Amino acid sequence: MKEEMKYEQAYAELQTIVHRMENDELDIDQMGEQLKRAQQLIKLCKDKLTKTDEEIKKILAEK
Amino acid sequence: MNSLSLLELNSLVRKTIEQALPQEYWVEAELSECHESRGHCYMELIQKDELTATPVAKASAKCWASKWTIIRPYFERTTGQQLHAGMKVLLKVYAQFHEAYGFSWIVTDIDPTYTLGDMARKRQEIIRQLKVEGIFDLQKELRLPLFCQRIAVISSQTAAGYGDFCNQLANNPYGFQFRTQLFPATMQGEQVEQSIIAALEKIYTAPPTAPEGASLPAKRFSQSNVAPSGAEGGAYAFDCVVIIRGGGAKSDMSGFDTLALAENVAQFPLPIITGIGHDRDECILDMVSHLRVKTPTAAAALLIDHLKGVLDVLDDSQARITHYAQQRISTLNAQLSTLTESIPLLLSRCLMEKNHRLELLSEKVKLLDPTLLLRRGYSITLYKGRTLRDPKLLSKGDEIETRVEKGTIKSIIT
Repeated sequence: MKEEMKYEQAYAELQTIVHRMENDELDIDQMGEQLKRAQQLIKLCKDKLTKTDEEIKKILAEK
Repeated sequence: MNSLSLLELNSLVRKTIEQALPQEYWVEAELSECHESRGHCYMELIQKDELTATPVAKASAKCWASKWTIIRPYFERTTGQQLHAGMKVLLKVYAQFHEAYGFSWIVTDIDPTYTLGDMARKRQEIIRQLKVEGIFDLQKELRLPLFCQRIAVISSQTAAGYGDFCNQLANNPYGFQFRTQLFPATMQGEQVEQSIIAALEKIYTAPPTAPEGASLPAKRFSQSNVAPSGAEGGAYAFDCVVIIRGGGAKSDMSGFDTLALAENVAQFPLPIITGIGHDRDECILDMVSHLRVKTPTAAAALLIDHLKGVLDVLDDSQARITHYAQQRISTLNAQLSTLTESIPLLLSRCLMEKNHRLELLSEKVKLLDPTLLLRRGYSITLYKGRTLRDPKLLSKGDEIETRVEKGTIKSIIT
């Protein structure tokens, strides 16, 4: 459950960032940072969809 | 004393029965046993008291092979079931007493619509019971996890449907990863109920795999009050359960319509998807499950579509934030270049204004130039270098200077 929650949380956080961006709630200084975060979240979620647990473990270990 | 042989006495019984019950009768009864032997069908009929369920009548019945080969296919095609114990049947019978084998009803026809009606009644009763228990819709309240990839499959191991299901998941066009595990169960006949319940139990208690790599701090989620022994804190090894059965739409569905199975499925904490391939609309297992589809491949397609939905949102988010960022940057750039362009203009406007004011000032200054006054014949008198405005300030011997157009006159006061 925890692991699944992690990805569900990432997904929810991504939605929040998109929402805040589109409502112009971010100033230019936050934007760069949030963009980076959003990209990370997207990659995390996409990896979860298309990579095996072993591959994901490897990716996480590289960091 | 006159006595009869048993054969003579039994013959008397046979003749009496043949005379007294010459017709055929339609009789409603429940089967308490039923089996085939050498092409004949042997049944035990029973009638139970409606309240106490104690038998109030019993009898044997037989259907000879000559009739049975005609009756059986029709019955099974209509009801989708084989004759089995517990089933209510409407039989056309005549009485037969055989001196050696005793009394038996001989079956010449079976009305399958009666059995269908009875099955429908039983289903309605089960549905009513589930609603009374408040569990009929429980599965509908669950949600498939976004990343629904650990699939517990309940199926018979050999079923083609199971193979189709796994192949379809494995060969999905998006490269989604699924992990399936089979929990074998009997999907036909009277074993269905118990074997599916046993499989659900195994899924419920399967220990979840150890969390991988870096994870969030452990949180405990209490899904139910009773934590399964193998699954700590309500964490399950699977995201959903798929109950599938391949082909054979005409096969026996009765095992899927029992109260105990429905109760187990309805109250299961993980969403259950059914794909048990049948024509009927009113299978109770389908009704209480989270989602129902027709076939195992449709179940696989549903799971793939579900992940595709998640992927679409991710792609859409990606596109939206890229679009947003680009737009935001180009807006800022535009603002910046507008500013840059306006600076020289503002600057020159500002300079012009200053120049103008300078000219005005110099005009004024020109008008105030005292030489203009001198030229017109006025003079200025200075005392100690300052303009003298009041003669009373002067005393005898003071020297004053008088400026006229063409020079200066020095005078002493006398």
